[in-house]
Amino acid sequence: MNARTVYFTGGTEEGFFTAVFDGYNQPNAYLTSEKNLQLGLGENLIRVQPDMEKVARVERKIKGLDARAIGDVRLALRHRDEDREQVAFLYVRQLVKTGKSVRGMLSVEGVRRMMDLRGQVLNEVHRLKGFLRFSETNEGVLYAPCSPDHDDVDLLASHFVARLNAPFVIHDVWRRKALLYDGRECIVAAVGDAEIVESEREKYFSSLWKKYYQSVNIAERKNLTQQKNYMPVRYWQFLNELS
Amino acid sequence: MIDQTRLKILVDGAKYDVSCSSSGSARRNSADGVGNAAFGGICHSFTQDGRCISLLKILLSNDCAFDCKYCPNRRSADVPRAHAAPEEICELVMEFYRRNYIEGLFLSSAVYQNPDYTMELLLRTVRLLREEYRFNGYIHLKGIPHADEALTRAAARYADRMSYNLELPSEQSLKLLAPQKTKASVLTPMGVLQTGREEAAALWKARTGKTERKGRGKFLPAGQTTQMIVGASPETDGKILRLSESLYRKFSLKRVYFSSYVPVVKDPLLPTVSAGLLREHRLYQADWLMRFYGFDSAEIVGEGENLAVEYDPKCAWALKNMHLFPVEINRADVETLLRVPGIGAKGAYKIVSARRFAKLTFEDLQKMRIVLKRARHFITCDGKFYGADNEERVRTALAVAERLDGAKQLSFFDGDEGGLLRKSERQSISLSVLDGTKNFLLHSTPSIAKSALDGQF
Ligand code: SF4
Repeated sequence: MNARTVYFTGGTEEGFFTAVFDGYNQPNAYLTSEKNLQLGLGENLIRVQPDMEKVARVERKIKGLDARAIGDVRLALRHRDEDREQVAFLYVRQLVKTGKSVRGMLSVEGVRRMMDLRGQVLNEVHRLKGFLRFSETNEGVLYAPCSPDHDDVDLLASHFVARLNAPFVIHDVWRRKALLYDGRECIVAAVGDAEIVESEREKYFSSLWKKYYQSVNIAERKNLTQQKNYMPVRYWQFLNELS
Repeated sequence: MIDQTRLKILVDGAKYDVSCSSSGSARRNSADGVGNAAFGGICHSFTQDGRCISLLKILLSNDCAFDCKYCPNRRSADVPRAHAAPEEICELVMEFYRRNYIEGLFLSSAVYQNPDYTMELLLRTVRLLREEYRFNGYIHLKGIPHADEALTRAAARYADRMSYNLELPSEQSLKLLAPQKTKASVLTPMGVLQTGREEAAALWKARTGKTERKGRGKFLPAGQTTQMIVGASPETDGKILRLSESLYRKFSLKRVYFSSYVPVVKDPLLPTVSAGLLREHRLYQADWLMRFYGFDSAEIVGEGENLAVEYDPKCAWALKNMHLFPVEINRADVETLLRVPGIGAKGAYKIVSARRFAKLTFEDLQKMRIVLKRARHFITCDGKFYGADNEERVRTALAVAERLDGAKQLSFFDGDEGGLLRKSERQSISLSVLDGTKNFLLHSTPSIAKSALDGQF
């Protein structure tokens, strides 16, 4: 039996692309990140340090074969699935082997898995655009806590920067990170707990929203299953109209 | 500031308008403004009845001079009346929007005093919202029948979408149930707005040499919609669909909404029972076939008939056209695949792209999560047939499939977990290949269709 050679990264994109470079010719390569690292008997463990030259080479190779593949891979790497690095790695291999875009090759399992991961991340980003709730603090900052399945709060930056002309914070409370916008610049930062003092105005409009939510319902047509299908319960804890 | 009591009254009066879609506009924010519009629309919450909340749906006033029989706001009704000042509406929109509760505003009003007076108030509100409050989010404005044409055109400069609701599918029913409205009072402003859209598009073309980009037009970028109440009057589904089709053709409507009648008002002229959601659902399915799948109303149902209850309209059509099936999955063109029961736009797209790499088998389709319980009776995979061997059995199988699905809001995008169709994918399933006469039906893209399915009815 051939033991796996496990390449593990710090969990960054650069680490991943470096690992693709290092592991490409190793038939039993398995790519993962240190957070999800599980030790098997007799496996070779290799810690991968990001190497920007290797990253650039891998990216160039991928882009040459399919301009959209890099974006697809980057999205998939945000998925919470523990196999995400491996799925993305096998996808890159398939791409190089085929020599042209494989996005449509949906009868191949590896391609399907990769596109599923990508799709689920995009889907969540779309949902968050609707389901985030900001409350206004005493200082006039808009604050939205959330707990997404995937590591994707920074993908919301352009959407909200384009709309809101106020500083805002989107806080991934589970990953303890936040997207911060000060009115000019957007950054992602590690944060701990947030302490929020809501303004009187905030309470007033929050209660009006709750009233609106109740009033717009048509009681004769109750359909809780459909409500939950469209708005999964795991998002509810952050929706003020439901708490 | 508006208070809870008035908010409730003004929302109660507006909520039976089913349209809440925020799609079709790609309005951009300005440097000092707030908001923009997402072309595919965004749902912000869902009510207990399972409908999407995307827009703040509210009336300026519920104090009506008209007396439509079915309406809780009618003049003769004994209900509490309320008004909101334009400034109050604007403030509410701004505060809700920045908290990300909504995509924008759906504003309408009862006919307060007279049509022109009301239309002026509506116009003042949307102008204020755009010019003073610098709001660039979505605005859907419901027009007032019989109002001055100049007011209608002026309001359209500020809105993303406007709607005049037909409410009832025939002149007789209008006469009976909505005595102050006529078909003309609704269709005339629709025509005015459509002309406005065409003029704006032509002007743009003359100036820039380019066609307006979808959702970026200067005059009602998200176009017009209308709504009909189903089941308050005796018109058949066949009649309703023909009317919808002609509205799509004449006024390039983006959507016709159907609202199944709910008896909130008692009147000897009105039915005492709800029309039921299934009928509404079937109409939406049929409407879908006309807008996205290249069907004519005549193919779907006879003028004097109603849609079948046991199966969806595509199945019903296929059962009447068994001689066209089965089709070979590895060869059939997209338009043909779209006509296979159970295969939606996303499924057709998946098949077309996957078969470029390899011949597809039945198992491949399963793995690609194409739902086959209906489709299997209408396709062959590499020459092999997996369906029932006679028509009677097919019929039974389809009826069973339908019962199992419990007529829930079926997705024409079966198996589309990923949800988002990318732009290029949209193009590859675009139906523009159909002959010219049918192109009019395809103003919307599947991604908008998808958001509609996600509950933005
Ligand atoms: S015009 Fe008719 S439908 Fe509209 S609010 Fe007045 S009574 Fe109701």
